Amino acid sequence: MSAQGDCDFLVKRARELVPEDPWAAKAWLITARTLYPADFNIQYEMYMIERNAERTSSAGRLLYDIFINFPEQPVVWREISVITAALRNDSQDKHAQFLKGVFETLPGPVQCQMLLKATEQCFNTLEKAEMHLLLLKRFPESVVQHGVSLGESLLEAENMQDLDTPVNCYRKLFVCDVLPLIINNMEMRLPASLLHKYMHKAAEFYIGYVTRGPCADAQLPGPQEGGGLKSPGKGRGQRGVIDGLSEKSSLVAEPWVRLLEIVGSMGLRCEWQGEKGTRTYSELLQRVKELCRYLPGLEGETFSRCCAQIVTCSTLVLFRSAHFYISTVQPSLFQGHNSLGSTPWVLVEDLSSVFNDIEPERPSGKHAHKKRKLADGREKTMSSDDEDALGKGRGRHILVNMTEMPAWAEMLEHFRTARESWDLLHSHETLESEYNKICAAWKTESWLWFRIFLTDMIMYQGHYRKALSSLMQLTSLQPQQNQNTHPSASSLETHRALIQQASCHYALGEYRLACEKLLEVVSGLVPQNQEATKSSEEQNRGRNKGKKGNDLRLIPCTSKDILPFCLQLMLACFKLRAFTEGNRDDLSLGHVIVLLQHDWPQGETLFLKAVDKICDQGSFQYENFFNYVTNIDMLEEFAYLRTTEGGRVQLELLPNQGMLIKHHTVTRGITKGVKEDFRLAMERQVSRCGENLLSVLHRFCINEKIILIQSLP
Amino acid sequence: MSDIRHALLRRDPLSAAKEVLYHLDIALGSTLQTGPGLDKNTVDLVEEFIFHVPKDRNTQRKRMSCVQELQLLEIMCSYFQEQSKDAVRQVIFSALFSLQGNKADENRMATLGKLVSMAVAVCRVPILECAATWLQRTHSAWCVRLALVLVDDYCTLVPGSIATLQNVSSASPRFCCQLITAVTALYDFSSDELTPPPSLLDMVVGWITEDPRLLLLTFINTPLSSSLPLGCLEATPLAGLLRWCVKAPLASQRARKSAVTGVQPEQENGAVCEELYSKLHLSVLQVFLMLQVHLTEQNLLGRLAVLQVESVAALVEEVSALVEELNPLHAANQIQLALDRLAQALQVAMATGALLCSREDLRTLCSRLPHNNMLQLVMSGPVVPHGAAFQPSVYPYIHPARPSPLSPHPSHPALSPLPAHPALTTHHQLTPHPAHSPLPPPHAFHPASMAFQYRPIR
Repeated sequence: MSAQGDCDFLVKRARELVPEDPWAAKAWLITARTLYPADFNIQYEMYMIERNAERTSSAGRLLYDIFINFPEQPVVWREISVITAALRNDSQDKHAQFLKGVFETLPGPVQCQMLLKATEQCFNTLEKAEMHLLLLKRFPESVVQHGVSLGESLLEAENMQDLDTPVNCYRKLFVCDVLPLIINNMEMRLPASLLHKYMHKAAEFYIGYVTRGPCADAQLPGPQEGGGLKSPGKGRGQRGVIDGLSEKSSLVAEPWVRLLEIVGSMGLRCEWQGEKGTRTYSELLQRVKELCRYLPGLEGETFSRCCAQIVTCSTLVLFRSAHFYISTVQPSLFQGHNSLGSTPWVLVEDLSSVFNDIEPERPSGKHAHKKRKLADGREKTMSSDDEDALGKGRGRHILVNMTEMPAWAEMLEHFRTARESWDLLHSHETLESEYNKICAAWKTESWLWFRIFLTDMIMYQGHYRKALSSLMQLTSLQPQQNQNTHPSASSLETHRALIQQASCHYALGEYRLACEKLLEVVSGLVPQNQEATKSSEEQNRGRNKGKKGNDLRLIPCTSKDILPFCLQLMLACFKLRAFTEGNRDDLSLGHVIVLLQHDWPQGETLFLKAVDKICDQGSFQYENFFNYVTNIDMLEEFAYLRTTEGGRVQLELLPNQGMLIKHHTVTRGITKGVKEDFRLAMERQVSRCGENLLSVLHRFCINEKIILIQSLP
Repeated sequence: MSDIRHALLRRDPLSAAKEVLYHLDIALGSTLQTGPGLDKNTVDLVEEFIFHVPKDRNTQRKRMSCVQELQLLEIMCSYFQEQSKDAVRQVIFSALFSLQGNKADENRMATLGKLVSMAVAVCRVPILECAATWLQRTHSAWCVRLALVLVDDYCTLVPGSIATLQNVSSASPRFCCQLITAVTALYDFSSDELTPPPSLLDMVVGWITEDPRLLLLTFINTPLSSSLPLGCLEATPLAGLLRWCVKAPLASQRARKSAVTGVQPEQENGAVCEELYSKLHLSVLQVFLMLQVHLTEQNLLGRLAVLQVESVAALVEEVSALVEELNPLHAANQIQLALDRLAQALQVAMATGALLCSREDLRTLCSRLPHNNMLQLVMSGPVVPHGAAFQPSVYPYIHPARPSPLSPHPSHPALSPLPAHPALTTHHQLTPHPAHSPLPPPHAFHPASMAFQYRPIR
């Protein structure tokens, strides 16, 4: 008999015995092993018996033996890869737990060796990295040797794959798993440049992660309200799995907190000024603000170190606060926000004072325009506190309905912090160029959410011309962002942009352009019942008390809130023209009267002013009057104007009435007929008082679009 | 001295016995340092007043009542419990219970049996420790009698009481180890009556599977230099347990044959026992593997036979006899199982250095046994390819390979000048084993003291 024959016989006999008498089977194998200690199959069979019976410690002992004695056996490798696979995924499955237990019984150096060898066997980069990571986590001393090379290999893999997002499996592994091991290992000395590179890789990942858009494929078309401006992401799925990772490991808990931890460790390692490792984002900003004061006096390495700290910290604070701001203003842009019932908001000029008398507070024509231009020119240096006095960038208030947006205070605070960081980053040439480098590397140009923030910020700063070009960029970002989402989503984005464009044009005194944009918006709206608007208006009023005219307002992006805003904005555009001293413009005055009906009797003062003007003129021609004026107070007033007591004002309010009057000047009888027509029209009009005013005004906007636009310069 | 005797004669038997114990304590406690044994008078007093051997025909002393006897046992129990000096306790115990080869021995044994049984019942560890030593130094014939008392008391008479005996393994592992050796000497399967009762088997297997190191306790804690009296128990129960495993299948077949009238209820019990023997056999092999670790550490590998060749020879002889007694046609499976186990144990024992025996001697030894594949393999040894005798360096390879024409015949370990244990007196300076050390021996084998370390083989 040959040795191989002996061994085969012994193993076969043992295998036969396992079911009926496992102890005998083991006795056979023990004997066999003393006869042929160098035979692999005998020991492997012993291991398999213990493994199948899930006896952890004895299986571990035997695995140790075969690992040491037969390191070249392919079967051993297969087994080790099964075990290490169990270690990698966090399965709670009983057998996986057993395999983990077996691994735990092995002495440390053997575990280390096993992981290293298993890593060598991996060809898939991701798997290999995961194996490596397992090693580093278990044996912190190996971080010094393998940490950076693992990190670099992940970054390289990311580059090789040419992935279009930083939120990918390689980066996730690098940022969430490898990087903490590297930067928290105090035995490692790394150059500051490398640390900064890693820091920025981490920041890019975390920012990309929190701001990633909702995944298109998980989206279900929600019940849409007929064509209205509604949140686009109804019923959107919450999960976003990073390609190549499991659902569980795709999840990153508390990304901003993780990022802050990394910043803390980095700061310690890069010897940042006053960096103690644990602080909040606002402390981070506070610290670099102080640091900024000393910047002009610094030079050389200290200067560049300070710059790096300022840029890194301010950039992170900027993006974080901007993200918070946008996640309140337009939550549906981001994954993980419950977009059901979350309304997007749009930042516009505050027009609550539109019904006030003209003189003290309307955006006053050319003079204001000039002043703004001046501010535009100085914009770069406008960052330090003494610029506040100019009142363009600072001291503006953003009004918001507190009941509809519970988190308003936090949102405004974030908006403020983000602006502050932005200003800081643009307070010095070096800082700005460093910041721009980061933006270029991260391709922030393509971040829709950030563009929205920038636009709002620019508007807030009063740089309306720049805001308009920013809005143009926004429009160019939208199609690619929204091509997969619900069609109404893009219409919402268009509306948002148009409303803001209108608001900017208005602020610039470009009323005609403002109106063009507005009417475009209105044509896409559906008028609501009038009642609902009242309450919100009243709530705002309290807050608005005593505020000057150049405040901003956040309004919900819904038909209900937008139509009133459009009407107000139009009123604001025409108001100036209609009441210009020494200038007669009956058409504009007519439009104003129509628009003043909305939110009646808010506009009573202005209406009386208009009536005064008509009285002064002695005549008034507005042929659309009976089409759009249904307000009983107004009708009464106009009926009165015609009377002797009212001043016998010549009113030409019927279509073609002027023609008739001219034609029949000689014949008195015809004028009588006109009188009769007017009376009839008035009577008919009174019966229309119950009509939905918003519908009337909506129709007004749509039907008279061309006249409206043409009547503005 | 006769004054004492006269005074004692006037007392009642119990107080007289107490007085003798007291006298013994004083006499031995003081002479312990000087070393001389007990004087004749004291021995006489012990035999007369404790074991009640009549001194002369005319002084017929009245015996103690059962209650008094129980009281005396209690007194002894508390004496050993309270004696804080190990050495004094040991000396007193041996003064009382060492067999003298006289007519007092029967009474001595009777009292010892009751005392140890009582100590088991109430868990008196010091007495169990003394009894363990007694079991080491006393001729196996007496040891077997003590074992029988305990088996009768705890396994046979009161069925539910075995749990009490079971606890002995944790109370005094040393005693437990010796008890196992003693019961294996007692139940040698020479007849159906000498088959271990199932409850005893179950308990022993339970002890061993829970902690196999138990079997090596006495062996490891005994200084190699101490010469043990002739005829005492073996240092480990391994030979005895091996006998159990090998002979059990044959003996059960023999029992079946004699009870051919067909008592079916035994069937189920038999299956349970078969499983127990299989477990036991595996444990025996595992203990051999552990022994190798110990022998290697102590540099004793190949110099000390734990399993005596003579015991193996005797076992082979018994197996041959049993095989002949059975009809090979009807008992083929049992015979093969017995031979499998025998062959496996011999192989593992040789490989681990427990049995010092060459393949050639083994072939001679087993020549009369029926054919068995495993045995054949073991007798011929592993096939070693020419010039490629792979030996992993970490694996201590001690059994001689099958002789090949190119290599000289390996030297016969049994013929080496190193005598086997326990007669290893001339070489004790070579061994690191501590002799009479006042400190606990550095290698004292306690279950908790030996962590299981990684070795290529266990």
